[in-house]
Order: sequence, then C-alpha cells, then structure tokens
Amino acid sequence: MKALEVTHATKRFGGLVAVNDVSLTVNQGEIFSVIGPNGAGKTTFFNLLTGIYAPDEGRILLFGKDITGFPPDRVAKEGVGRTFQNIRLFGAMTVLENLLVGMHIHIRVPYFHAVFRTPLARREEKRAEEEAKRLLEYVGLLHRKDELAKNLPYGEQRKLEIARALALKPRLLLLDEPAAGMNPKETEELQAFIQKLREELGVTIVLIEHDMRLVMRISHRIAVLEYGSKIAEGTPEEVRTNPRVIEAYLGKGAAGGGA
Amino acid sequence: MSALSLLLSLAFLALAFLAPGALANLFGLGALAVATFVRLSPQGRTLNLALLTLAFTLGLMRSGNTLGLIGLVGILVALTTLPRIPTWVRALLGLAILLLSVPLAGFANTFVFELGIQIGIYAAMALGLNVVVGMAGLLDLGYAAFFAVGAYTWAIFGSEQAKNFMQGNFPLPGEYMYLFMGIAIVTTALTGLLIGLPALRLRGDYLAIVTLGLGEVVRILANNLDHPVNFTNGPQGITPVQRPPIDWFRELMAAIGVRLDQTTDYQLFFYFLVLVMIGLVVLVNLNLANSRFGRAWVAIREDEIAARSMGIPLLPTKLLAFMTGAAFSGVMGVIFAAQRTFVSPESFTLLASITILGMVILGGMGSIPGAILGAAALTILNLDILKTFSEFVRTSLPQIPSQVDPAKYERLVFGLILVLMMIFRPEGLIPEKRHRAEMEEGA
Repeated sequence: MKALEVTHATKRFGGLVAVNDVSLTVNQGEIFSVIGPNGAGKTTFFNLLTGIYAPDEGRILLFGKDITGFPPDRVAKEGVGRTFQNIRLFGAMTVLENLLVGMHIHIRVPYFHAVFRTPLARREEKRAEEEAKRLLEYVGLLHRKDELAKNLPYGEQRKLEIARALALKPRLLLLDEPAAGMNPKETEELQAFIQKLREELGVTIVLIEHDMRLVMRISHRIAVLEYGSKIAEGTPEEVRTNPRVIEAYLGKGAAGGGA
Repeated sequence: MSALSLLLSLAFLALAFLAPGALANLFGLGALAVATFVRLSPQGRTLNLALLTLAFTLGLMRSGNTLGLIGLVGILVALTTLPRIPTWVRALLGLAILLLSVPLAGFANTFVFELGIQIGIYAAMALGLNVVVGMAGLLDLGYAAFFAVGAYTWAIFGSEQAKNFMQGNFPLPGEYMYLFMGIAIVTTALTGLLIGLPALRLRGDYLAIVTLGLGEVVRILANNLDHPVNFTNGPQGITPVQRPPIDWFRELMAAIGVRLDQTTDYQLFFYFLVLVMIGLVVLVNLNLANSRFGRAWVAIREDEIAARSMGIPLLPTKLLAFMTGAAFSGVMGVIFAAQRTFVSPESFTLLASITILGMVILGGMGSIPGAILGAAALTILNLDILKTFSEFVRTSLPQIPSQVDPAKYERLVFGLILVLMMIFRPEGLIPEKRHRAEMEEGA
C-alpha cells in the first residue's frame, strides 16, 4: 500500500520555482527522508503535502485518496500530523492543553453539549484527558503536564510537538528537522524514539533532516532535492554513492575526485 | 499591620454609622485598599472584608452615596482574586453583597439599582466580547451592533411598532420577553454569521475596521428603517416597550417580608434578572473555555498555521466565536429594551462598542472576573463619578464655564485611563494566566 503518492508536484512563487515537478511515493510503514541543501524546497514540499500551499501542478494522493488542494485542516482530518522546522507550540497553553488541541478532531462534543457541559461533554472531555495523559506518559512528558509549553526546555518542546502531532492519530507523520539543535546524545534518543513510533504505532514517517548520520541510520529510503527538483531517490546506500548527490552537497568536482 | 488594617475597618464602620456620606466612603475605600494589600491571616482577612461589607452597606443605606457601591464592587473583586480565603467565605460574602447589600442600598437610593443593572448588562456583554476578543483574538469594533439587534428584536414586537408591517395583536404581552430572549439568540447569532462571513476572512487591523464599518451599518439601518416601511421608527426610537408582568415576583418578595413600591419593584426585578443572566453567561464562558471549542479559539489566536495543522478549520471556528459573542449581547439587548421601555439608535454607537471593548481590555483580556470588573469600573465612571464630579464643579465653582464641564470629558478620561493602563499594566487589572504568559513572551 502506498501511503503517499506525489506526482509532478510544482509550486512557484512568482518567478521562483520552489518545488519543480517532484514525484515520489512513500510506502506504508516506511521511514522516508527528504534531504537537500538549504533552500532546496524541502519545507515548501512539506507545506504542499499539508495543504498550507496548493500545488500549481501535480497531484497528491494519501492512501489512494486525492487530497490535492485540501486546506490544512482537512489534510489533518485525513490523518496527516506534522511538526514544524521552527517549533510552533501553543506557548501560553499547558502541555496537556497542547495535546488536547491535537486531539481536537477526535473529541466528539457537539457545540450545545459544550455550552451546557452536559454529561456527554464531561465524559468525552475526561476520556480525552485520560488519553492525552497516556500519550504524555508514552513520550515521557507526563510530569510536565501542567507547565506552560513555552517554559519547557528546547528538547522537550521538540518532543511535545511530536506528541501533539501524534494526538491527531496520524497515519502519516511529517517531521520537519526534528533533530535541529540537538546534541549527538539527544539525536540518538530521537532516533530510537522515531523508530519506536513506527514499530509500536505503525505510523508512516516522512522527515526532513540535515543530520546525515541520523538520516542514513534511520531511513528506509531517501529523496534528495536540489533547487526544487528531485535529483535522486533510493536507499541510504544508493543515495550516499550517487554522484549527483555528492555534487549537490560538496560542489562540482567533488563527485569525480571523491569516487 | 493586620491590627492596623482591622482598626481602619472598624473606624470606617463607626464613620458609616455616625457620619455617612462621600467622605466616609472615601475613607472606606482607603481601608479596603489597606485590607487588600496587607498580608493577613485567612481569619483576619475574612473578618476584615466582612466588616467592610457591613460598613459600606450601612453607609449606602444611610446616605445613598454611590461611592459605597464602588467599595462593594472592590470587595467582590477582592473575594474573587485574593489568595487564602476559604471558599465558603468567598461564596457567602459574595452572595450577601449581591443579594442583600445592593438591594438594601437600592431601597435607599434607586440610582444604585440603575447602576447595578447597567453594570450587569455591560458585564454580560463584556463577557460575550471576551469570547471573541479575549479567547479567539478577533478584534471586533462593531460589537454594539448585536446589542442593537437584540434590543430591536424585542422592542419591535413588544410595542405597537410591529403593527406597521404585519397583522396581529401587538404589542405582544410582556411575558413574551422570555421567549424573545431565546429568539434574540437566534437573530443575533444570524447577524453574527452575516457580518462574520465576509469580515472574518480578514485579520487584525483589517478585521477591526470592517467590523467597525458593519457595526455602523446596523446602527444606520436602525436610524433609517422608518421608511418606506416603518420597522424601527428611525431616530425617535421605539417606546413604550413591554415589560414582563411581575406579580409573582411581588408576591414572592412579600412572602419573605419585602414591601415593594412602584419605583423599586421593576428595578429589583431587573436587578435579579441581570444577576441570573450574568451567572449563566459566566457558566457558559467557563464551559466553553474548558471545551474543545475554547481550546480551538485560543489555539487559533496563538498560531493559526499550527491550529489548522491540528485539524481546526479556520473560518467556521472563528464564526462560532463571533456568533457566541453576538448571542450574549443579543440576550442582554432584550433585557435592556424591556428595562428601559425605550430603544433608539443612539444607544448603539461606535462609542458603545469601544466602551465594551475598553471594559474587556481594562479588566484583562480573556479574564472573566476582569471583564466584570472592567464593566463595573467604566459604568460607574460614566454614569456616576463624572456626573457627580461635574455637579460638584457646577455648584461649588460656578465661575467655571460650562465648556469644561467634566461630564463632557468622559471620552478624555476614558482614553486617559486606557493609556495609563497600557503603560503600567498592559495585561489588565485581573489578567488571565494565559494572556499574562503571552505578554511576558512579547516583552
């Protein structure tokens, strides 16, 4: 089963082609990485997948369903959770509330039940809170549940953002540079954590990452973007030895010399 | 220190008994300030606040000086915000002030009722606007429009006005007012939908300007819809608007030994009605704040993109906040129309919208006690302090020309207060923890 099928996706901003005719498929249960130099269009590509931008051309299929042009909230309802390159938590809400926002689409309380806080509303809220606490325990943040998100240390904010995305119960999880700003030990923990998510929750994971050690260790397959175009795709081994990739990263001449 | 504070309160009690009036009340406000800021044991604080309540009530009953009402409001604020007071004390003293002190003062001076009702109506509206501005972060400068729609909803059918455009037996009898409170929820929510659909696609300053414009449209419609078909009776307004019959209320009061006369019966009734409404509005506010809707509003305010990525649809969620706020305002509009028995476009100007917004900001955005305090402060300022002050100036300093009459400087004083607030306490008088966090973040 294909979790994600992107065909000929293109996004232009005026004269700049940020994403240029990118096609790729991600299999269900895979950890798939998108890498590339700065400004290669990785985050724009993510924003196309999550509906923050609509592609100018091309189609995006999620588990066989065409979600091209869906707004972000509908993409989320289709089961896509994401994190952001520069953490976007709700800083003035508590850790627990952040997760409850993540569970928004799964809390089934009609408006009038919420207004009068009917037994149904109470029950649902309680259930949601229990579930949020379980999830916090799972990621190891339960002891922080009543703290404001902005007061958490950086590493825990990253973790909380992943937990918030998980609260959505995603089928596809998009992580935008999850290891940014982490030291090697934290990165190692993150690697174990991401692998645990895939194994225990069965979620398909696509990540953008600059930390090549992490990417090479964790990914089943990798796509490489440069100037908005996909220049390579394959297993870590294939990508590592691909001359075009080496050229993109190290400059012209390096590919020939290094080989 | 605590002994001094108690002594001050006792002295005020004596003053309220012996020489009630403005000076005694000023003294009392001082004593209240001391009681608030001094560190006291729970028992000391309870005793102190109880003494002050008694003294202010006594002063109000004996002199009718409305400064005492400010004291009572201050005590209510102290009860809701100060730490280390047992819950039953808070509840008991609060109820005593609302159900005993204010009515007793009102019998001495019916203006206290008028003030109480106005404060209540504005407080309920401020709480409604609090959902829109405080929770969802949507700057709405046309909020009085919903108040107008609610007021006219009842005014038109609760008077002979409806005869101008439809068959039927108008005015509808007063008990229909309760039904129309429900109908007004629907009409104002629909108005909110109508105004919100185009306006809420905009953000920030743009939203503020568009809501300001659309709010004015509603007032101007009310002003001009007296021809070709006379719906609103134009600038003359509609009068008399029916009030609900309150024989049951008189009997109820008589049963507990309260004799009501022609001037106080409706005042007391509307005072209690408004109290009940505030109770309901606070409850709904709290319920929503702790529901997925409240959280979605706050999430949108904090970060639209992140909120949308969590599956929260932008426009419907904003519309819901807008319509909820509108409905609060609409219900209070019906009560306003019935209480005054008169409705005209003048009550729904831009200044009214800005005043309500000022109440929310003054009290602290997103904070429920803050919104109520803001409403009390600005209503008392507008209706009482400035008027008393100008009367004082006119009688004791007649050589001062009437152009500098303080009552004419309502907006100046109002603006000054807001400017001072923004400088010294930008998060409001009783800030909500979330907004305080945001303010710190910004600093």
